[in-house]
Amino acid sequence: MAQITDNTRGEVKEIVLDFFAEECEIDVEEISEESNIISDLDGDSLMFLELIEVFKKKYSLNIELKTIGKYAVKNPVKTIGELIDMQMLIIEHENNILDL
Amino acid sequence: MESKTAFIFPAFITEFTRKEIDFLKINSVDINDYLNRISNVLNLELPEFSYDNKLFREELNSQILAYTISCAFTDVLLSKAIFPAYLAGYSMGIYASLYAAKSISFETGAKLIFKAFELVNELTETNLYGMGATIGLSSKDVLELISNNELNLEIINVNNEHSLVIAGLKEDVQILLEKAKKEGALSAGELTVNTPYHSKHLENYSESFSDFLKNIEIYEATIPIISTFDQRKVLTIDDIKLELVYNLTQKINWFKTMQKLIDCRVEKMFECGAGKDLKKISRFIKGDYNLRSVYKI
Repeated sequence: MAQITDNTRGEVKEIVLDFFAEECEIDVEEISEESNIISDLDGDSLMFLELIEVFKKKYSLNIELKTIGKYAVKNPVKTIGELIDMQMLIIEHENNILDL
Repeated sequence: MESKTAFIFPAFITEFTRKEIDFLKINSVDINDYLNRISNVLNLELPEFSYDNKLFREELNSQILAYTISCAFTDVLLSKAIFPAYLAGYSMGIYASLYAAKSISFETGAKLIFKAFELVNELTETNLYGMGATIGLSSKDVLELISNNELNLEIINVNNEHSLVIAGLKEDVQILLEKAKKEGALSAGELTVNTPYHSKHLENYSESFSDFLKNIEIYEATIPIISTFDQRKVLTIDDIKLELVYNLTQKINWFKTMQKLIDCRVEKMFECGAGKDLKKISRFIKGDYNLRSVYKI
């Protein structure tokens, strides 16, 4: 299980913002935690999946995509801030996220 | 080693980038001139193009529009001396790939689309069939759902290892998509078509489409087209006719097709069509290549 430190949220936020800035071909300053992933950034499920892969690699996470899918159905995210929070839970709880 | 370029062609327009028409205008191309040529050859009254014209959401019109924009983009790229080493068309993108290969004229492509549409229309009109897409489940997961729930469905295309397309009875498509969400799919939704393209339900049309092709003017391809059916290089007239039938009636595999292009040392790919669907599904297709929209030439 990955070690969560005081800096982890900041690190996750930076990765998420950089990822969307590159994917959407916009400046990172144009994205905030309030940005709506679909209406503001034209995000999609494959983008979300790619981001999960980035975090799986970075934090050596042991979590199945299906588990994240099941969690996401019950806890849908709309904004970048909510997405960052979900990524934090994934990093912290991995496959146990469904027990929350 | 010289880097190779490929043109790849989408089947449908899921969503416009809304840069399409500006790009054509900058290059002195009027999409309505192309649409008028199709209206004349098919004796149809196609409406004037606008992004929000609902008439272009009708199945035949949307296929024609996707083909038309792909051909117009191809003409612009060729006029700028960007020449591909390979071509590949996603599903009905095959018609634009044949146009780019100079195997068929623009008008012949329209006739092929119309004929294929007309042939399968008896299935379409029953409203019994449909297609869907799942993201986040493996082929094994989806096949298990199909089998465990005794659904009359097939995986008819693999976009990438996480993105699958299914076709069959509409009712079963809807059941599968609901079950897929419960199973943990990140996304599962119906496609806006009433025809189970590439499924076993289309096999009955092989012979009649083959017969139709006997009287169609087709030339040898000047650029190899990678088959989405079995990833062979298609060049000869006979092979083109075979591929056209396979493309309508058999399962395809876009993932393997992209891998074949990468294996052929293609490093630059242009998505020759409206929207950016092919770019989106390429996310999980690994390789040393760059896939870009035509606007970025």
